[in-house]
Amino acid sequence: MIVGVAPFVQGVPVAVLVDPAIPVGTLLHAAIPTGVVVDATVPVGVPFESVYVRSIVAVSLYVSGLAVLLGTLVGVPLAVALGSVEFPGKRLVTSAFTAGMGFPSVVVGLLVLFAVSNQGPLGGLDLVFTREAMVLSQFVLATPAIVAISLAAVSGVDESVRDAARALGGTRVDVALVTVREARYGVATAVLAGFGRAISEVGSVLIVGGNIAGADGVSKTRTLTTAIQLEARQGRYDTAMVLGGLLMALVLAVNLVVVRLGDEGMVR
Amino acid sequence: MATADRLDRRDGTPALSARSVSVAYGDDPVLSDLSLAVDPGEVLAVIGPSGVGKTTLLRVLSLSLRPDDGIVTVDGTDAWTADAAGRLALRRRIGLVFQEPSLFEGSVARNVSYGLRVRRSWRERIRDGLASAVGFDGPSAGSNGTAAAVREALSVVGLADATDRPASSLSGGEAQRVSFARALAYDPDVLLLDEPTSDLDPRNTAVVEDAMGEAAGRGIGVVLATHDMHQAERVADRVAVLLGGAFAEVGPTAAVFEDPDDDRTRKFISGELVW
Ligand SMILES: Nc1ncnc2c1ncn2[C@@H]1O[C@H](COP(=O)(O)OP(=O)(O)O)[C@@H](O)[C@H]1O
Ligand SMILES: [Mg+2]
Repeated sequence: MIVGVAPFVQGVPVAVLVDPAIPVGTLLHAAIPTGVVVDATVPVGVPFESVYVRSIVAVSLYVSGLAVLLGTLVGVPLAVALGSVEFPGKRLVTSAFTAGMGFPSVVVGLLVLFAVSNQGPLGGLDLVFTREAMVLSQFVLATPAIVAISLAAVSGVDESVRDAARALGGTRVDVALVTVREARYGVATAVLAGFGRAISEVGSVLIVGGNIAGADGVSKTRTLTTAIQLEARQGRYDTAMVLGGLLMALVLAVNLVVVRLGDEGMVR
Repeated sequence: MATADRLDRRDGTPALSARSVSVAYGDDPVLSDLSLAVDPGEVLAVIGPSGVGKTTLLRVLSLSLRPDDGIVTVDGTDAWTADAAGRLALRRRIGLVFQEPSLFEGSVARNVSYGLRVRRSWRERIRDGLASAVGFDGPSAGSNGTAAAVREALSVVGLADATDRPASSLSGGEAQRVSFARALAYDPDVLLLDEPTSDLDPRNTAVVEDAMGEAAGRGIGVVLATHDMHQAERVADRVAVLLGGAFAEVGPTAAVFEDPDDDRTRKFISGELVW
């Protein structure tokens, strides 16, 4: 139902759709400074959109950011280690990670849901429908990409450069650091690929997180993707579009920052 | 170790020694029962045809390859009975220059300071890393001592002005000179050079040969592996002729070249020995 008309935003009058049961509204309100009452006709108790949107962005960034951070901390050292040793079955391990890049996210979500459910091995941790469970499933989704792409990058580092690091007194850790530094564009690409996979997937976060937002409009486990899915399904296309725009902007911004960081380290 | 300390010990403990060392790759013996001692401040040339095992010998001397048999000592300490930390400490008294420069991406200063940086504590390294990340420091990051050592090492190879140049902008000869400075910067006791001028033009070769003399003058024991007999004759105090997995002859340069005792050495030197 249309319960109010927001002030002109960029010259266009915007109809505000509010469903009292589900805290949503047009995102355009989010562009208005908090504390400014923009729509007196919104019933008391109906959430302010900026709270809703901000909390969704925060949950998305927290879940995908932490999952990718953990995936990087595990995946990059793993890739360097895999890249510097030879063992029987290495090809098998490598192709397992490559295959992992294509795992369907709903299936990963399902498996993680089983793992954290009461009967599952992680059942004692009480993780069902929590952000932490979402971090876990996105970690599983992002890490194979981080490992596989980093591995390809570090394998391209000349062995003679690694020899030089050793010859100059470097320890194993120093040699690994030199390897990552020489391969940093590839490693950055790997991290970005992991982040892109995590931030834009719907399946696993929907299953393990449950797409929950409180009555106060604060997202608990609702991410940009699951929110877009919900808003679109309920016909609130403008909200969905704005959330979609935010998601795109976020991905582009993270790309820019990571690429810049790579350039910084160039000549030093 | 300071120059004076090293030179005081000229007649004492060798800077580096191999005793009865043997190495085989699979069933192929490369070095058999070979012994060698490098004194502080001397240039010792190991000459021999390609494929005779010079690189293998340098890998043994640099503690990167454990010989199947025999003992390697650094300043009198047995490297392979030492624990890993002890061996790392010994390894860090050795400098190694390969035929290929293999510089790291980044500036010349970053390359030349590498050996000094890995020798610092993690606490210092992280602090310096953060400082340079937020722009507190110039391109030759690190303490003033590091910057001075970098400039000093680069001046030995005539590249004192090149600190801020990207390594990728160097010519092959310049890159190899930086590679030499990179090993000299942390003031090793021994410098191992594996065919360091094979890919260089005469001018760059002359710079590197002069740098060998400069290093020896500081009390560093220099081992030069080369197939170039003329280079050995120009720069070496002593020559060891590696033939068939062992030294056919070891002696002062003039004696080996003018009056070799060994028949194969005579043939190798006169160019008759074709491999
Ligand atoms: N990693 C290795 N595995 C097997 N054989 C090797 C290896 N490295 C060297 N060799 C062999 O050992 C012999 C000596 O090689 P090398 O020490 O490189 O000689 P040089 O440096 O005098 O040319 C050569 O026959 C070479 O083919
Ligand atoms: Mg060789």
